[in-house]
This record gives sequence, structure tokens and C-alpha cells, in this order.
Amino acid sequence: MTAVDETPTTESPMPPPTRSSPSSSIVLAYAPILVAAALLALVPLRYGDTGSTMTVATEGMAFAAYAIAFNIIFGSTGQLFLCVGALAGTGGFASAILADRAGLPMLGAMVVASLCSAFLGGILSWVSVRRALDTIFIGIVTLAFSLSFQNLILGQREWTGGETGIFVEAGKDTILHDRNPSYYVFLGLVVVYLTIFRALQRSRTGWAFRALRDDQLAAELSGVDVARYRVLAGTVGSAMLGFAGALFAHSGRGFIGPSTFSFGDVDVRVLVMLVFGGLGSLLGPVIGAVSLTVLDEVLIDYAQLRPIFYGSVIIVFFLGFRRGVVPAVTDLFRRRRRR
Amino acid sequence: MIAAILDGIVLGLQYGLLGVGLTLIYGLAGVLNLAHGQIAVLGAVVVSVQMGNGMAAVPAILIGLAASSAALLVVDLTIMRAVYRQSGETRILLGLLLMLGVAFIIDGILVWKYPIERLGLRIGGDPIAILGVKMSRGSLLASGITIAAGLVLVVFFMFTKFGLAVRSVIQDEQGARLVGVNPARVRTFVFGLSGVLAGLVAVTRSMTGPIGADNTISLTILALIVAVVGGLRSVPGAFVAGVLLGIVDRLSSFYIGTYITTIILLVCAALTIVIRPTGILGGSSG
Repeated sequence: MTAVDETPTTESPMPPPTRSSPSSSIVLAYAPILVAAALLALVPLRYGDTGSTMTVATEGMAFAAYAIAFNIIFGSTGQLFLCVGALAGTGGFASAILADRAGLPMLGAMVVASLCSAFLGGILSWVSVRRALDTIFIGIVTLAFSLSFQNLILGQREWTGGETGIFVEAGKDTILHDRNPSYYVFLGLVVVYLTIFRALQRSRTGWAFRALRDDQLAAELSGVDVARYRVLAGTVGSAMLGFAGALFAHSGRGFIGPSTFSFGDVDVRVLVMLVFGGLGSLLGPVIGAVSLTVLDEVLIDYAQLRPIFYGSVIIVFFLGFRRGVVPAVTDLFRRRRRR
Repeated sequence: MIAAILDGIVLGLQYGLLGVGLTLIYGLAGVLNLAHGQIAVLGAVVVSVQMGNGMAAVPAILIGLAASSAALLVVDLTIMRAVYRQSGETRILLGLLLMLGVAFIIDGILVWKYPIERLGLRIGGDPIAILGVKMSRGSLLASGITIAAGLVLVVFFMFTKFGLAVRSVIQDEQGARLVGVNPARVRTFVFGLSGVLAGLVAVTRSMTGPIGADNTISLTILALIVAVVGGLRSVPGAFVAGVLLGIVDRLSSFYIGTYITTIILLVCAALTIVIRPTGILGGSSG
């Protein structure tokens, strides 16, 4: 039990997983990340010459990063944050403004911007914990935040360019604007996020997450500080969203507008990806992001039908999973695939 | 000032009806209908298509309302069955996500098939002065219809047996079952009723401005805001909240600006949840 710093102890309300030996378990735990990374690293070898495909692939990786972060908030602690785009957008716009207007170095701007997102997400989480809000009410409050953010972006023309958006200067002369290297940067981000997710899962925090998700009352009674862990998940996940959004703002097209981070364009896609790939699982967000990105490319001629497709995926998967693999949606959270 | 308030009341009555439709389904079935605006616009588009084919306004409107109602009935009788078998948080979460899916499908169909179809019912005649403010006949007719619909609802819920049965299910589903009310039938009825109300809002709104596929999301969000401020389970609360928010909307658009107005409405909803989740009229229900 010395493989990881915070190995689960006997006070955990969940039984420890069966593992052959500490050293092999840590390999097994992180192996899926390596496999996924190795497979995804091959993409530029095949498509490296097609600029448009690599742009789409890079965006796919950015969405995978969003989905992993959302998986920490929603998949791990059941907080329905319908403001993934807004939190990423806070990071994106804050970083762009800090770097271009306030003259901060790009990396510094990105860190400060992520802290802004973390703060906002933490507040949302804290308020919902303090007021003991049900899932649905967290959803409505965060949706209200999401839409307010969208309106602020449209309204504050001087800072955000309103409907037209702004060109981001910082990052133009870095590898973030080179096609294939920027793909690898985002792939690296996904690997880091997956590692954070797995490390959280394996730490004492992960045990607390599962305990409070399975039965909040039981977790509270057995000494898990439910409020603390919820806020922790909200803050960490939001920081990750903010950082991914900031990186996205400085990369690729060098342009961000209101639709870059809107509810309809980000939140819905992320939700569909997560549902598609498997809520609460390690690789679910990545599988979902890759599948959806590929599907979008295949169905590019039928782009009008995309909303119908998304809607159907949400309905079919929530109905199907509920009946098939597990009896209820919340039980989806309980599922923990060890791959 | 008076003009803005009167305008606000006209708008607010429609907001109220929008919120009532959402509140009924949430109060009764625990399903947050995130497709409310889509259902409404669906009705308006059907009316517009029928009138484009040369049908007179009144029968076209009736067909439109029937279409909105039918859409929600189908939802209730098919995918929502799975939701009703659940309980607690699971049920609410599943209902919300499935309705989100339905919203996207309807949105997709509308944008795909009828991207430019707009319903704009022009009510002719000179404006009529009320309290010294000239109001268009369209606004007045829209308000008249909305008030009439509200009165029908009041009579229905206060004085008819079936209306009382609906209220009993909202208050206590188990208890209602014990006294012989069939919650499933009541639920199906309320889905249909909510569809009619949604369609009615779209039709009356089209008397003051055109309604089409790009209005779906904003209508859903308005319905959500109004229902939340009304307390999500209180039909009178939703109506009162609608009128108040309509006035707030007009005053704020008039004195502050449009984009801030949306934020103000959203903040109203968020603050209601955080500070006073039972809504504007407190804990009253039905």
C-alpha cells in the first residue's frame, strides 16, 4: 500500500479494489492513458498533410479536455454544471485580454485566467452545497450563469468584440499556431488531464467522491466532508476547463468569438460526448470526443441534421444505458470501468 | 414610463402563460420540459404552413395548437414512461436530459425543414389609447386571449372535478392514488394541456412580432426563468412571476439596455433558487 501517497485506508466507506501487487496496479491504472495517447499520437502521421483534418482533430482534443474536466465535476460528484462553455470561455477571454491588453506573458495570463475559472466554478459549487441544491437546481443556476456569460460577451464589445469576436495576438509566434505541433500540445493536455483524473480516483479524494455520489447521507455519517469534496471537484474541474479554454484561445485560428464557448456549441457537445463514451469512466470522455469528432467529419454534408443526431444520442443512450447495463442514471456514476 | 409598464404587462401575460405550461409539467411529473419553446414554435410553424396553403387563420391556429399538444402527448406516452418508473433525483435528472434531447430533435427538424417559416399574424386597425398610451390592436388581442386562457385555467383548477384531481396529484401523488385518481391519466392530460398553452403563447406572440425557428431557445429559457421565479410548483406563482418579469423586462430594456435585461432576468432566476426556492408566492401550490 505504498505505491501512491494517499492510498485508500480502511476508514474509506468503499472496499478497496482487488489488486495483485502495488507495483503492477499502478501500471495497470495508468496503462490505458498510455495506450490512448499512443494511438492518438498516430493521427498526424496519417492526416498530417491535410490541414483541415488536423484543425478538426486539434479541436477534438480540446473537447476531450473539456469532457474530462466535466467528468470530474458531473461524473464524479454529480454536480450538473451546465456552464462548461462559460467556464472555458472565462479562461479563454480572460487569458486573451490579460495577454493582449495587460501585457502579461502568455503562460502567466493562462494561469491567472484558469484561476478566474476555478474561482467562479468554486463559488457555484460552494453556493449549491451551502444551499443544499438538488441536481436540477444546480443545473438551472449554472445554466443561468452560462447564458449571462454569453450575453456579457455579446454586450461588452470593447473587450470581447461582441458578435464579431476578437483576434488573439498572444501565441501567434509559438508552436500553438503550427498545425501538427499544436495537435500534440492538446494531446499532451489530454494526457495530463487523464492523469489528474486517475490520480484523483486513486487518492483518498476519489474514495470520497465515490462515497458521496453513491449515498451522500452515508458518506456524511461516515465522516466524509461532503461539502469540501464537492467544492474541490467544482474548483479543480473549473480550473481545468479554464486552462483548456485559454490554450484554445491562444492556438490555431487565433480567434475567439461568442460561439467559441457558447452553451449550444460546447456544453451540448460535451454532454453528448460524455454520455456516448461513458459517464464517470476514465477514457469515456476521450472515446466520446474522438467518436463525435469523426462522426461530425463523416456527416459533414449533413451538418443540418447534427442537432437531431445529438438529441437522439442523448435520448437513446440515457434510455439504453438505464435499461441495459445499469438500472438507473445515477447508477451510471457508480460504474467504474478499470481498463 | 407608463408605456413601458403597459408594454411589460402585455409581454408579462405571455411570459406568465409560458411559465404556467412549464410549471404544470414539472409540478405534476417532475419533468423539467426544456423543449417548451420548441413545442411552442412547432405550433406556430404549423399554423404558418397551413395559412400558407390558404387556410383561414382560426382553423389553422386550432391545428397548430393540436400539433403542439400532440408533440408533448407523444413524448409523454413514449420516452417519459421510462422516467416515471424512476424516483427522486434519478427521475428528475433523467427527465431533464431526455427533454433536452427532445428539444434538440425538434430544433433540428424546424431548422432543417422550415428555416425561414415565420408566423406573423397581423391584426389590422388603428391603435387604441389606454391610459393615454396607444396600444396596437395586436397587443391587446394577444393580452385578451392570454387573460381568457388564464381565466379558463382558474375555473378549471378551482371548480371542475378533473382540475381538482390534477391539483391533488401535484400535491401528493400517493394520496391522490388512494382516493381513486389515476396519476398516469392526469399526467397525459397535463402534457397535452401544456402543449396547447405553449402553442397559444407562440400564436399570441406572433400578433406582436414574427415567430420562427430561431425563437425556440429564447422561449424555453424565458419559460424556465418565469417558472423558477414562480417557484416551479406554483401555477399562480408562475403567472404572477410572468407579469412581474414582463414589466421588469420592458423597464430595463427601456432604461438600461437589451443585453443587460437578459442578464437581469437570469439573475432573478438564479437568486430565486438560492434565496427563496419556493418562489415569489412562497409555498402555495396548485
